[in-house]
Amino acid sequence: MKPLKLLAIFVLPLAIIIAAVPQNKTINSTRIAANDLLDDFNSKTQFIAPDAVADMIVKKDPALRLIDIRSQAEFEKFSLPGAINIPIADLLSDQYADILNQDVKTNVFYSNGTLAANEAWMITRQLGYKNNYVLEGGLNYWFDAILNPQKPVSTSPDEEFAKYDFRKGASQAMGGGGAVTAGPAQSSSAPKPAIAPLPKKKKAAGGC
Amino acid sequence: MGPLAPNGIISENTNMFLAFFIGIAFGWVLESSGFSSSRKLAGVFYGYDTVVLKVFFTGAITAMLGLLFMGLFGWIDLEVIYVNPTFLTSAIIGGVVMGAGFIMGGFCPGTSFCGAAIGKIDAMVFIGGLFLGVYGFAFTYKWWEKLYMANYLGEPKVSKSLGLSDGLFGFLLIVVALGMFWAAEWAEKRFPREEY
Repeated sequence: MKPLKLLAIFVLPLAIIIAAVPQNKTINSTRIAANDLLDDFNSKTQFIAPDAVADMIVKKDPALRLIDIRSQAEFEKFSLPGAINIPIADLLSDQYADILNQDVKTNVFYSNGTLAANEAWMITRQLGYKNNYVLEGGLNYWFDAILNPQKPVSTSPDEEFAKYDFRKGASQAMGGGGAVTAGPAQSSSAPKPAIAPLPKKKKAAGGC
Repeated sequence: MGPLAPNGIISENTNMFLAFFIGIAFGWVLESSGFSSSRKLAGVFYGYDTVVLKVFFTGAITAMLGLLFMGLFGWIDLEVIYVNPTFLTSAIIGGVVMGAGFIMGGFCPGTSFCGAAIGKIDAMVFIGGLFLGVYGFAFTYKWWEKLYMANYLGEPKVSKSLGLSDGLFGFLLIVVALGMFWAAEWAEKRFPREEY
């Protein structure tokens, strides 16, 4: 038999089979293995420091997108400037897919602590989405660190003071100013102090 | 399971080790198919000997079928496999340069090493030219950079841009390949050449 005929007899049936079967979608490369996820989780690369977030808010960094994953009621009571609300129960709904699965913005999940935000991050990470981070310490730490910064003791290193000055400025810019309890009216009347620039830090390490 | 190296089933070194043997096997197949003869290689452009077309296309459709079936069985994750990114302009220019060199020199890069391995002087000269080209390009890279980077298309798949499933496109490609082989064998009869 001629080689061409032999080849045709061998490959054509295979070709017909492969054309007829549906594509195997069960292995989804975007999903990552459990041990990789655990490694990512343990290395804590998903966290982004509150100072970095505050810096981005103050500078109105267009790349920042804060995502409040608490309930809508909690979101309406208090939220970070410019944040959007995606309650964790609705995380996988189609309307948010474009927000979570993209490579332009830096999404920062936050909740009161870090537990719920970490859950949201793990789910998106499992789906292979990039550029999602978790606000380190959550809102509770945000209140303590950014909105009500404690003056460091006088023996502290200079960096501590720089951090404190930045936080104080940032908190006033965001309507806090050590006066979260006093409401925003006071801070709007007071002249805003200059915000000392935060010492340059390296970009948040990617979670991928 | 697969691909083996990216999934960490075998190490990068084992991967290179296997590649070494696969490379030797590749060279052996080239040589035993007669690919160290520049007359045979140039024949595909004149129609008197189309074994190059047949061997390489058979290799391509065999690999394609293998990958599609392994993907179907879940043995390999096709999304993870590295695909050369496409820079359209440089692909076209490179194709023309490579084709012209192929006709003039009578070798393509792989077969020139094959020919040199069995002591063919023209193949060695071809390899010299190949290195001249490589270094020449590298040292004048900044002149070409714009052209080289133009029309970046990412990693396009023909099946995706046609809206077909990979399997259906594979089937059509195999039908086209078999048709091409038939036409090639017809050409061999139509443009016979006795003296080579």
